[in-house]
Amino acid sequence: MLIAQFQNLVKTYGDTVALRGVTFDVHGSEIFGLLGPNGAGKSTVIRILMDIIRADSGEVLVFGEPRRREHLDRMGYLPEERGLYTRLTVLDVMTYFGTLKGLPRATARKKATEWLDRVELPHVAGWKVDRLSKGMSQKVQIASVLMSDPELCVLDEPTTGLDPVNVRLVQDLLLERRRQGRTTILSTHHMNQVEALCDRVALVNKGRLVVYGEVDEVRRQHSLPEVLVHAERPLPQVPGIVSVVAEGDDGWRITLADGMKPADALAALVRAGAPVVRFEPMLAPMEDIFLRVVREEAA
Amino acid sequence: MTRWHKVRTVAAFEFLTAVKRPGYLIATFGMPLFIAAYGAMVAIPAYYAQLKDQEQAIYGVVDGAGFLQLQGDIAAPEVELPAEVKNAAGALGQTEAVKSALGKSNFIFRPFEEEPKARQAMIGQAIKGYFVIAPDYIDSGRVDIYTPDEVSMSGSDSRQAFANLIRERLLSGKLDEKLRHRVITPMADSKRLSIKRTGEVIEDDQAASILRLAVPLVFIILFLMSVLMTSGYLMQGTATEKENKVVEVLLASANPDEILAGKLAGLGGAGLLQIGVWLLMALATGIGVIPMLLTSGVQIPWMAVSLAVPLFIISFLFFGSLILGTGSLGSNMREAQQLAMVWSLLAALPLMLLAVFIREPHGSAARVMTWVPFSSGSLIMLRASMDPAFLAWWEVAGALVVLAISTRLALAVGARLFRVGLLSSGARPKLREIIRQARLAN
Repeated sequence: MLIAQFQNLVKTYGDTVALRGVTFDVHGSEIFGLLGPNGAGKSTVIRILMDIIRADSGEVLVFGEPRRREHLDRMGYLPEERGLYTRLTVLDVMTYFGTLKGLPRATARKKATEWLDRVELPHVAGWKVDRLSKGMSQKVQIASVLMSDPELCVLDEPTTGLDPVNVRLVQDLLLERRRQGRTTILSTHHMNQVEALCDRVALVNKGRLVVYGEVDEVRRQHSLPEVLVHAERPLPQVPGIVSVVAEGDDGWRITLADGMKPADALAALVRAGAPVVRFEPMLAPMEDIFLRVVREEAA
Repeated sequence: MTRWHKVRTVAAFEFLTAVKRPGYLIATFGMPLFIAAYGAMVAIPAYYAQLKDQEQAIYGVVDGAGFLQLQGDIAAPEVELPAEVKNAAGALGQTEAVKSALGKSNFIFRPFEEEPKARQAMIGQAIKGYFVIAPDYIDSGRVDIYTPDEVSMSGSDSRQAFANLIRERLLSGKLDEKLRHRVITPMADSKRLSIKRTGEVIEDDQAASILRLAVPLVFIILFLMSVLMTSGYLMQGTATEKENKVVEVLLASANPDEILAGKLAGLGGAGLLQIGVWLLMALATGIGVIPMLLTSGVQIPWMAVSLAVPLFIISFLFFGSLILGTGSLGSNMREAQQLAMVWSLLAALPLMLLAVFIREPHGSAARVMTWVPFSSGSLIMLRASMDPAFLAWWEVAGALVVLAISTRLALAVGARLFRVGLLSSGARPKLREIIRQARLAN
């Protein structure tokens, strides 16, 4: 099921073109990574989705229909530039945000208390917001977004400023949402999180969609034709394998000739009598793909 | 969740946040206390001055003409109270008290044979001053008045009392008692009547006239105070939300017009509550005025009174939308206030032109301004209060419709500017960009 569809979005700010016809879909029950360098247009896409700004042209469909204001109650949003009402208590602020999302006040208050427990901050409920540390404030904001259990949630850099323990806590919350059938659009610069969490990604650069698809497929597409082979003894020479470089005691990194598929290379090695223990096509890290694509675009 | 729920949620939040502010509480409960303290500072010395005035004041008289024939100290003739004062005192059940306080003269005139003796008595503070009647008084009318070289506020009263004494003595034995009394107080029981433009004759009641002016005046002043104070809260709240970066969360949860309407309703409610507290405190301290108004037959301008609340709310929404929409374009609080100042000045326009409208409540200027949304609320109140017979029903209905439509437009324009303003950061957006963004906000 398609939860969000972005169709040919165009947006300009004065003379600056922020989006030049961006089109992609977000599926249900997935964590979708929205990637791109600073100023690429990610926040513009998100703001258009949340109806904070309007696209010059193009369309956004949400839950299978043209996006309406009523859909916002089923959506959550943690903006990149975020904040809280500093002079109010944490519980009051969370309750307000909950009621704005359609929760009855009593329910919002109860959910806020529960979610403060979940982010391991039950003791700050009565604190004024300006007493919170940066990390605490970050977790309170994430809890404020997730407490209304939105079907579609957009989180812009949710783990910035968090220590590794709290990063893991947030990641676990997102994985739990996926298990519950909820969808999350995650905008982040942390590529290790993309690999760990995201099912599919879209990479936007200079207002254009430059990479889009399942994470593994994207990594495969952008990987060099290399395979890591573990074997009990050195590999024999076979046609289609350009080079073999030793990696550790029992590993060899082989480079395939153009057009040679990893499965065909494995078959050829086995036929040649190679005692293959493990055969692992090497996938490019998302960070490398990100850097390569952005640099190629810049060039 | 429907729009009204969003509006209500924002309104409740803004209202509760506003009324819990120390500044609000100080203004709400401190302002009447401050005014009371200020009033006391003015009233207490005035009270003691009045007490002093009620003490017997002895003035000397050197009767050069010899017609007064004073044989010792003599009090001035009693003063007749004006009819309006008698009516008002009667309504309060205080006729005797007022009569005893005001009706009795406290001036005593003491004869002196010659001027130097009177002067010595004044220097010795035995008398407050003295009158010297010239020997040719009957021909010349000359009376010299000697008083200490200091500022005195009761000089005219003593002169009036002495003039009454002279009149009484000049007429003594020349007219019968009744006629003599009438000459001294020729209009002891006068009644003022007014003829309305419809031809109806009514008693011209000073209290009613004051009330007919006071009702719109209080409305205009309270409205202006409310607009100015609430707009301050509105802009401060919006500036804080921009600063705190909460705006995107709000805009991702509710429409700009829902947020705008909620803010206006919540902060407007806080403003109304503040005014309500002030009026209640004023009413509690001046509770005696109500039975006086009701029992003395004063015509209360009910039409204006009944229009006050709806006009207040619609006008408040009209100005509030424009002020908040324009103010949100400012990159800081000072810039926001500068941008919104034009609306505050327009809200104050009826007060600035009040003298013109009071002189001619149904003149051309007043009639035209009734249809202008910036002034229609105040003008309807003024005209409905001062002379309701000449305010046609279609003028009231038409002006209300114009004001309601203008308010709806102001809310729409204000909401668009509000959205553009909320999302702008740093320098103020240029007019072209504002228009472009506002159009996109459809």
